[in-house]
Amino acid sequence: MPKLSVSGLTKQFGDVRAVDGISFEAKDGEFITLLGPSGCGKSTTLFAIAGLDRPTGGRIQLDGRVFFDGSAGLFVPPEARNCGLVFQSYALWPHMTVADNVAFPLRVRGVKKKQIAAEVEKSLALVEMESYAQRYPHELSGGQQQRVALARTLVFRPSLLLLDEPLSNLDAKLRLRARGWLKQLQSQLNITTIFVTHDQTEALSLSDRIVVMDGGRIMQVGTPQEIYQDPATPFIADFIGGSNFLSGTVATVTGNVALVSLPDGQTLSVSASPELTPGRQVTVSVRPEEVHLVHESDPRPNLLHGRIVQREYLGPRYQYSVSIGDRLVRFETVENLGSVDATLAVSPESCTVFAFNGKH
Amino acid sequence: MEEDVQAVTVGTSRFFDADGFDPSAVSAERFPRTRLIQYSLALFTLFLVAAPLVPVLYQSLLSVPIYESGGTLNFDAYWRFLASPDFQTAMVNSLVLAFGSTIVGTVIGLFIAIAVARTNMPARQLVSGTMLLPLYVSQLVLSVGWFIMYGPAGYISLEMRDLFGTVPWNLYTLAGMSVVAGILAAPLTFILCIGSLRLIDASMEDAARSLGAKPPRIIWSVIIPIIRPALVYSAMLNFISGLELLSIPLIFGRPARMIFFTTYLYNSRGGSVPDYGLLGAAAAFFLLLITGLVLIQGRLLRNASRFTAIRGKASRPKTFDLGKWRYVAAGLVVAYLVFGLGLPLLGLVLRAFVEFLTPLMAPWKLLTWANFNIIFSNPIYIRSITNSILIAGLGGALATLLIALVTVVIHRSDFRWRKPLEFIALYPRAVPGMIAGLGVLWAVLWIPLLSPLHGTIWILIIAFTMRNIPTGYGAMSPVLLQIDNDLDRSARSVGADWWTTVRRVVLPIAKTGLFSTYVLMFLSFFKEYAAATFLYTRGSEVIGISMLEFWGIGEVGPAAALGVLQFVATCIFIFAARKILGVKLHA
Ligand SMILES: Nc1ncnc2c1ncn2[C@@H]1O[C@H](COP(=O)(O)OP(=O)(O)O)[C@@H](O)[C@H]1O
Ligand SMILES: [Mg+2]
Repeated sequence: MPKLSVSGLTKQFGDVRAVDGISFEAKDGEFITLLGPSGCGKSTTLFAIAGLDRPTGGRIQLDGRVFFDGSAGLFVPPEARNCGLVFQSYALWPHMTVADNVAFPLRVRGVKKKQIAAEVEKSLALVEMESYAQRYPHELSGGQQQRVALARTLVFRPSLLLLDEPLSNLDAKLRLRARGWLKQLQSQLNITTIFVTHDQTEALSLSDRIVVMDGGRIMQVGTPQEIYQDPATPFIADFIGGSNFLSGTVATVTGNVALVSLPDGQTLSVSASPELTPGRQVTVSVRPEEVHLVHESDPRPNLLHGRIVQREYLGPRYQYSVSIGDRLVRFETVENLGSVDATLAVSPESCTVFAFNGKH
Repeated sequence: MEEDVQAVTVGTSRFFDADGFDPSAVSAERFPRTRLIQYSLALFTLFLVAAPLVPVLYQSLLSVPIYESGGTLNFDAYWRFLASPDFQTAMVNSLVLAFGSTIVGTVIGLFIAIAVARTNMPARQLVSGTMLLPLYVSQLVLSVGWFIMYGPAGYISLEMRDLFGTVPWNLYTLAGMSVVAGILAAPLTFILCIGSLRLIDASMEDAARSLGAKPPRIIWSVIIPIIRPALVYSAMLNFISGLELLSIPLIFGRPARMIFFTTYLYNSRGGSVPDYGLLGAAAAFFLLLITGLVLIQGRLLRNASRFTAIRGKASRPKTFDLGKWRYVAAGLVVAYLVFGLGLPLLGLVLRAFVEFLTPLMAPWKLLTWANFNIIFSNPIYIRSITNSILIAGLGGALATLLIALVTVVIHRSDFRWRKPLEFIALYPRAVPGMIAGLGVLWAVLWIPLLSPLHGTIWILIIAFTMRNIPTGYGAMSPVLLQIDNDLDRSARSVGADWWTTVRRVVLPIAKTGLFSTYVLMFLSFFKEYAAATFLYTRGSEVIGISMLEFWGIGEVGPAAALGVLQFVATCIFIFAARKILGVKLHA
């Protein structure tokens, strides 16, 4: 039996049908991502699961218990659902300290004082925020607030973790780190998670399965590689293809650097992680804005050589496509170049590595 | 249809190791209190607002006093009332006074608002601070001050006669009263207009100026149209207040034997057996008249958003350079503040400390504590002061709590009737203070369950609360609307029900707004007297009532002394609110 099942979910705001008959399921411990452009109904779906928005129709069921059934007029209020939702804005209560914020879910459940203190500490330790217990939210950075929000959600041990673009308010560097951290935490806790994002890299790197949405409907459901390799619609291909992708094989791992060799013999060093073992098939993704045109003899590591095969004028900049191996790598620059050989620099930190399971 | 399932435990998840802790099992099954609380609040508000209205309308149709059984329902009282010459005179006088005071108040208030918000007149800060004070002081107190200085035997009037042989004004006329009422109403216009004046996008003025328009023309053709909603609103409010005005008609109209609508009602309060039917018809007529005006006000403002040139945040505060004229403008504003508000207050204070006030003798030769001794030697007057403080302090707090909760239900809940509830909460704008008082009195006489309230200060608290729900709602709404929705939604998602969320998250975050609302309620309750005129009995007087009693028997000195006490207490409270609660009253 699935852990969570959503079927035929609809939500109408006046004339706007924000969610239009959505159905999907999540298995116990699964990490599911709702991916789609802004305004496609992701948050509305998430809030309907949490019980914060009353849907217009459909059915939601968790652990065999019906939360909402439009035709039966059944609606379980949010406080009785035991779903943990992390808001995009974090929504920490400004008048409470970090410790009070985290203790609140236990207090409303009537947990004994002593146990609350212990659990709050445990939860804060989980997100490495123990030393900030007495601070107020406004005294924390965005990343710290995000961790506290997560601790507050985990402290009452929800049956389901719901995350609404939790990384979108962080700056690029922090976002990358928080992503890895979040993935680790989720697999450690093995909690069923519904993650909402509009960022395909986040979706591909974190999820067990991705639900691609557009205009309130589901476009495709599948594993990251299914979605990436075999997009069901041009929309998905375009949406997911925002990044450059290079596939290759892990050649060597030395310290915290893994060397990925590409089909054409060039190599790319990336940050090592436990799943990157030599011989492993991987896909490396890098955003166009993180690809830089450099001089042939640039001292930086991770230089890729290829030929410019395509040029697009974008107003202030040009976008070029460089053929590397069997792939095209796009990058942008203000320089006006012809169809020449180009050398590209890609910093190891800007590479996201997907280690796909099994074949490929 | 809607079936709210209350907290039931959800099967444990196997996460967080196997330490056995399962908070979802701890959660106690809760009583479905959300709807109960919301319905109770809504019904209580409905009761508060309807309690005074229903008896008035009922009595106006009833042939016998409301507390008697039997009687028939008919329109007799209305015909008697409408046909009475007293009514017709009162109606005309009231309309003229309301109209006159609206014009005077709007012109003065708008002039000062433009000078403060859009010009480089000197001392703008000081002026805008001072303009606030009259809003928190009883009109009765200021009117007494005017009487003492500018009345027919007033200090300044007599001085004028000495110097010039004649007094160019007479406050015992409709024109005189309109000017006084207008001068006292100007601060309200000022406050209501200055907000939108400050927010006008400077680029609109720039545009007009670049087309060659001169400042006066810009004021006329750019600024006035833009602040029209605020202006219409304040003019309507002034007009309604003019109709409801009791202090000036009592103080200046009575001696001139001029009758107004409010004094007509006030007078029929006396006598051994009032004509209930007539009183009911008069009150109902008054109520319907004001309701009509409030509805018109709403209609006029319905399309107000068309006019908004207001951006979310104040843009560059751009001011006209008035050149030398800025001193002229400052002179006019200072003259208003000194002659219109300062001197009457000074007169009030002087009068309180002397045996009599005359230009013929220096006041310090007549110094006396006698006026205060009269008050402090009589338990009735002392009690009226303690009652006022108690009603404002305790009643204001209760009213703030009620209004805060009602506002929360309206803005932060999925309560099915929240739109009608908002309408109910705003309706008392259409209920004049005296009618609210009369209605509550009749409700208490009519409904046996309420009779223990008769003669207690609770009946006053009820009437004052009813009257001030819209004011409190107006103060509380923006505060709640500013709080991010996610903050209460996150509380709900982690397991708090609506009521816990309100108590532990919404209201604590709105704390500053709650304090401001309390300060506003305290000051409104403290100065209210019109709603008490029908309600008080021996034991439940308030300061304003005692003042009117002294006034009625010609004892100006003690009345002035009470006015001084009220004024001083108001100032102390405003100061304390600032120091202790951190509440700053501002325009
Ligand atoms: N409270 C609301 N009232 C009206 N329309 C809404 C409301 N909330 C969301 N919508 C609309 O529903 C659609 C989906 O919104 P949302 O679920 O927030 O999108 P996403 O989270 O995918 O960006 C949008 O078109 C949005 O404008
Ligand atoms: Mg969203």
